Amino acid sequence: MSEIIDISNIIYSYIPVAIILVVALLMPPLTMFLVKTLSPRSRSAAKYQTYEAGSVPTGDARIQFNVEYYLYAIAFVLFDIEVLFLYPWATVFKGHGIMMLATVEMLVFIFVVLFGYVYLLKKEALKWMK
Amino acid sequence: MELPEILFNPLVRGILGLCLMGGIFLGAMAVIWFERKLSADIQQRYGPMRTGPHGILQLVADAIKLFSKEDIIPKNADRLLFVSAPILLLGSIFLMLVAIPFGAVVINGITYPIAATEMDISILYIEAMSAISIVGIFMVAYSANNKYSLLGAFRNFARMIGYEVPLGICIVSVAVMAGSLNIVEIAEAQSPLWFIVMQPLGFVVFIIAMLADMGRLPFDQNESEEELIAGWITEYTGMRFGLGFFAEYMHLILGSMLITLLFLGGWNLPAALTANTILGIILPTAFFLGKVVLVILGIIMLRWAVPRFRIDQVVDLSWKRLLPLSLLNLGWVIALGLLGV
Repeated sequence: MSEIIDISNIIYSYIPVAIILVVALLMPPLTMFLVKTLSPRSRSAAKYQTYEAGSVPTGDARIQFNVEYYLYAIAFVLFDIEVLFLYPWATVFKGHGIMMLATVEMLVFIFVVLFGYVYLLKKEALKWMK
Repeated sequence: MELPEILFNPLVRGILGLCLMGGIFLGAMAVIWFERKLSADIQQRYGPMRTGPHGILQLVADAIKLFSKEDIIPKNADRLLFVSAPILLLGSIFLMLVAIPFGAVVINGITYPIAATEMDISILYIEAMSAISIVGIFMVAYSANNKYSLLGAFRNFARMIGYEVPLGICIVSVAVMAGSLNIVEIAEAQSPLWFIVMQPLGFVVFIIAMLADMGRLPFDQNESEEELIAGWITEYTGMRFGLGFFAEYMHLILGSMLITLLFLGGWNLPAALTANTILGIILPTAFFLGKVVLVILGIIMLRWAVPRFRIDQVVDLSWKRLLPLSLLNLGWVIALGLLGV
């Protein structure tokens, strides 16, 4: 189980990622360049207007959204970090002889998180429109 | 027979990744055609018929049309964000694809997955890369300065962050059962019994969360054509729209692959079937891709069976139903582990 991790292997496994990343960065600009050379051009004022069901747009679209919307974002950050803590735990759960300990620790952890979850529910933080 | 050493060279693997990228482009075209034909069948229409036999060249014609369309950037738009958003949309898909095996080759009883790279933490990496597309979608909508787009993007954000959590917990449950975060090892851990049998509840939660993650009906609140024109993508025209559209279909294929790899047994076949070298090269990949096609078929048909949910129903479903259910599934997996399964 305790094999020595060869760091060069880890770096090697990310070389294809780097290659694909470069291609992914280049592809949309290249496609749009191709479109620019192939497509016809014509100008008119109405064409560059934002679409709003055919009428002239009123005001700015970038409004201040209801602040309660951000409660979801905060709840998400809490629970997503909880899930992140579960990942390393998941890999060592089996085959290391610490199953009982791992179970108890995880139950305590989930209990604490569930406590927060019930609090959020009771506070109606997870309700779309109040 | 041994595989030559050159096939394990990271640069060669990178080229394999580029081939898989081309493959998924063709796959997305096929899926779009397939969806149009199947939807037409369900509605008792013909669908595309004119271009090629049964309209199979329709997507080629569409691509030519999109390439020759003028690229319009609205004058109220934030140009930098508007132009660079497709990089995030496609980058998220392609970086996901690097770590996902597209099948496997079995030679002399040893399995070699067909993937650009193998990582110890590939499933965590895939989930992280898949989450980037949310930022891309929001960039499109925010930069366009269009009210429909922005509403679609706000809905998209609320939906995605709700489903990311149960999705993550289901992946953790799978990882606990397989004892690894490597997607190849997870697929191989299902050799006698698929994880859909071991944790059916996890499968149901995962497939719902994955549908929401892919933005397929009944979870396409970011688009909802009937109320928001085209949702987040309203201001994208021509090829820019094409790139976003393609990214969605590639996400559908990769999501179906993840469902197959994590719960439907991947490419595992009885050893007797893969003993022959030629069968060992063909059968596991064919078996895997066959299951992926069935999953895609199911997802497409689901589109015409279930109406779109309202956004508050969707958000409630994820936070108040799926999250507790996924934790319950994790408890079930832990209990199975303690019993020594």
